[in-house]
Amino acid sequence: MAAVKRLKRVAALQPGFISFKSSAESDDLNSGRRKRVNKNKKKNWNKHSDIQDVEEFLDDVRLQERATGGLISEKPDDSLFFVDIGEQKKRVQPEVQERKKGKKSKSRPLRIDLILQHDSLVPPPKDVLAHQQPNAKKLRRIAENAEKLAAMGVLPRRQKRLLNRRPATKTSKAKTAANNFPDRPYYDLWGAEARETADPYYLEQTGKRRVKRPEKLNAKPSILPAVEVIAPGGSYNPDFFSHQVLLLEAHEVEVKREKAELRIERQLAVKREDTATEETVFQEQVEGLVEEEEDEDEEEEEDVSIRGGLQQEKKTEKERKRERADKIKSQQKQAARAFTDKKQQLFQLRSIQATLKRREQRTRERVAQRKANQEAEKSMPRRLGRLKFQAQDLEIQLSDEIPGSLRTLKPEGSVLKDRFKSMQKRNMIEPRERAKFKRRHKVKYVEKRAFKEIT
Amino acid sequence: MGGLQKKKYERGSATNYITRNKARKKLQLSLADFRRLCILKGIYPHEPKHKKKVNKGSTAPRTFYLLKDIRFLLHEPIVRKFREYKVFVRKLRKAYGKAEWTGVERLRDNKPGYKLDHIIKERYPTFIDALRDIDDALSMCFLFSTFARTGKCHVQTITLCRRLTVEWMNYVVASRSLQKVFISIKGIYYQADVLGQLITWLVPYQFAHDHPTDVDYRVMATFTEMYTTLFGFINFRLYQTLNLVYPPKLDSKAESELKAEHEEDYAMDSESYLEKLSALSASLARVVATAEEEENQLDQFPADGNMEAREKEQKEQEDQNRLFEGLKFFLNREVPRESLAFILRCFGAEVSWDKSLCIGGTYDVTDETITHQIVDRPDIDKQYINRYYIQPQWVFDSVNAKMCLPVEDYFLGVTLPPHLSPFVEEKDGDYVPPEKLKLMALQRGEKHGKIQEEEEEEDEDEDDDDDEEEDNDEEDEDLTEEKNLKKMEDQRSQGKVRLEQEEKAEEKRLAIMMMKKKEKYLYDKIMFGKKRTTREGRTAHNNSWNGVNGMVSNVVSMWLMPFH
Repeated sequence: MAAVKRLKRVAALQPGFISFKSSAESDDLNSGRRKRVNKNKKKNWNKHSDIQDVEEFLDDVRLQERATGGLISEKPDDSLFFVDIGEQKKRVQPEVQERKKGKKSKSRPLRIDLILQHDSLVPPPKDVLAHQQPNAKKLRRIAENAEKLAAMGVLPRRQKRLLNRRPATKTSKAKTAANNFPDRPYYDLWGAEARETADPYYLEQTGKRRVKRPEKLNAKPSILPAVEVIAPGGSYNPDFFSHQVLLLEAHEVEVKREKAELRIERQLAVKREDTATEETVFQEQVEGLVEEEEDEDEEEEEDVSIRGGLQQEKKTEKERKRERADKIKSQQKQAARAFTDKKQQLFQLRSIQATLKRREQRTRERVAQRKANQEAEKSMPRRLGRLKFQAQDLEIQLSDEIPGSLRTLKPEGSVLKDRFKSMQKRNMIEPRERAKFKRRHKVKYVEKRAFKEIT
Repeated sequence: MGGLQKKKYERGSATNYITRNKARKKLQLSLADFRRLCILKGIYPHEPKHKKKVNKGSTAPRTFYLLKDIRFLLHEPIVRKFREYKVFVRKLRKAYGKAEWTGVERLRDNKPGYKLDHIIKERYPTFIDALRDIDDALSMCFLFSTFARTGKCHVQTITLCRRLTVEWMNYVVASRSLQKVFISIKGIYYQADVLGQLITWLVPYQFAHDHPTDVDYRVMATFTEMYTTLFGFINFRLYQTLNLVYPPKLDSKAESELKAEHEEDYAMDSESYLEKLSALSASLARVVATAEEEENQLDQFPADGNMEAREKEQKEQEDQNRLFEGLKFFLNREVPRESLAFILRCFGAEVSWDKSLCIGGTYDVTDETITHQIVDRPDIDKQYINRYYIQPQWVFDSVNAKMCLPVEDYFLGVTLPPHLSPFVEEKDGDYVPPEKLKLMALQRGEKHGKIQEEEEEEDEDEDDDDDEEEDNDEEDEDLTEEKNLKKMEDQRSQGKVRLEQEEKAEEKRLAIMMMKKKEKYLYDKIMFGKKRTTREGRTAHNNSWNGVNGMVSNVVSMWLMPFH
């Protein structure tokens, strides 16, 4: 039954639907079907009474009070309306203008202030929490006591502790820890002797004592002097012969270098006959293409070599006996010869002595040579590392470069390089060369699109 | 078959050496840091005698260090500082990357640094040890002070080097210890005698030169770092021995003299003091001011045979130190001012230069009391009568000859005599350049007897002629073994000494006669060789005087033998 009613209601609500009964009646039917509520109970006053219109009216009143500062109906006419007369002609009053300006700023308030004024009838609520203080009485009492004490000069404990605390001395940090600033101070390093502050064993165990430097490290790595003076031919105004000597040395170095180059060229040289001519080239290209008769003579030669080794297999008794006898005889002969040799050595004493002397002399020479080599090696730079030591070029000026006076002198060579090489020569550092820039990946060249179109 | 089998490369030299990379890993440092540490501590790589053994069978070229040295390095406190620095760099880079500028400032303020004082004390336990090693330090510091102040190496290092070199030069001036000077095409070599040690150093020329690219600057900078520290301490000690104030202050009288009107034109206030010092024209202040210089009294030892000789030597030395005393010099603009001022002041002269050149010129060119003016131009406009105009080589040659040479050879426009090297010691029979002979003659002539002076002067005059071969021969005969004899005979006119010498010669002849045949044979051989060299030297003389260039190669090849 309910479903049927619902269907009917829905159908009736469709637009353009003409029902049998009139619309008013349908409403009554619906309203007639409403449930009856008992309004005598207090419970139902709130639920089933419709006070919407009253609520609307009250909302409107409240809105007016809040926003516009009172009911609009009670406001005077002037505040709501103004009469639009039209444009007024401005009267020129120069002397009054300044005063007007001043008046404007002082008497009349800003328009923005007027707009932002608080003009609603509803006052802002009172902040109750601001007046609430826990233990207000207690706090007031404490404050009064503190004031009394401060008036007498007694400081609270916290302040006393603050004052007693040591002032933080701003220690200027040891910025001068660096080594190389220009005004670095020096002191007497070898003067004051350090005393032992504590037990040496204790110092050693706790790591406070410095480890002694091993004696071997004090030995100089080379016997060469630190600064080698250039030969007298290197003077800025050399005398003839010393200069020639120096030129000769440089000349020899150059000759050696040229010889080395020539040697390489000679090793790479090719004989003229071996160069390719047209015929040889043709021959190479044609090889194997033309069929020729192959030699059959080669096969015969192989058989002869195999036969030779197979004949003598067994040794007979006779052979063995003979061999033994021969051996004994040769041994006897040798013994006899040795005996006679020993006897004859007596007469050969002189020549033996001579040979011995020669041998000794040779060994002595060799010993001396070895010692000389060792001494020479001490002054040579040692091989420490991958690169060999390259001596620098002799600093020398050719005869036409020699200046006549100190003013026209052009210095030769670089002292920096000289010092660097000298340190390498004295085995203090290993020879080094500048590190080359190696690319990890090959560089690719790519044309830009614009170029691709052109080319 | 009991016993443990020995494995190869487990004992002996293979375990005494360690390769560079292994050492670096043991110390946990980067290669640059490891190298720096080795340079600072003075630890050098070694070349083992049997490379194959040490390298465990391979012959690849590797750098070896002694294992004990590396173990010693482990105890070095600087190693910690290196690691801290590495961490600091990393943090700084991160702060930069994140653009935390306050962090960057804070990190910069707390930058870790290290000091090298204890290393110097360890490497050179006594002052004399340090003084022996100062050659290298001097050359490096002088080199670095000539660098241009671009950012390539720290400008602070350059300034520090300059300060130290100026202090050293002031010390040498105050102690008058300069002995030899040599002007070469590379630079200027000096030799000084400081507290009994002969110290040689090289000063490059001031004019700029290209810096070569194949020199490792980091290595040189590390060496310089160590050497500046060493040098500073040595300077302090040296100033102490001379009773001078360190850091050096100009003497108060001298300073007031130096006060010029336009001081600001020369240098900023902070640098003007250093510049004044480097001018080397004023004396230094002493710790205990002495009104007069005290003369050192020699302790009177009981009569010793060598006393006279020693006293004589000392007197000679003092005379040399006063070589230019009383002379007033003026340096023209084109001569190298610092070098000349240094040398002249070392021997007691007064020096000045043009005011526009540098701070510290005391008197002007118009001063009438100037005795010598050093000029390098071909000629000069205005000439004053009572002064000599000479070329700078006169100063250097006089210092080397230890006497004031005649000024005529060094006038303007005159071709100078060659500048000989004072560092060459010629043995008997070696080639001696004719100029040196002249010099020796001069020295002899001025020192001994009047009678011989005339002869010597005659000899000098004859030397100037090109064709006087006989005189050359006479002088060359002096070079033979009997040189000493004749020299003695010529110089000493006193009969006693001559008699002694004659006796000695007689003894020598007797000894030669009594030699055995074999020994005589050897002796003859030696004499023959010597005579040959002198003969060749004589022909060389002739050729040099005649100016025959074609003969050079022959002659040179002939007497190149004794050089080998």
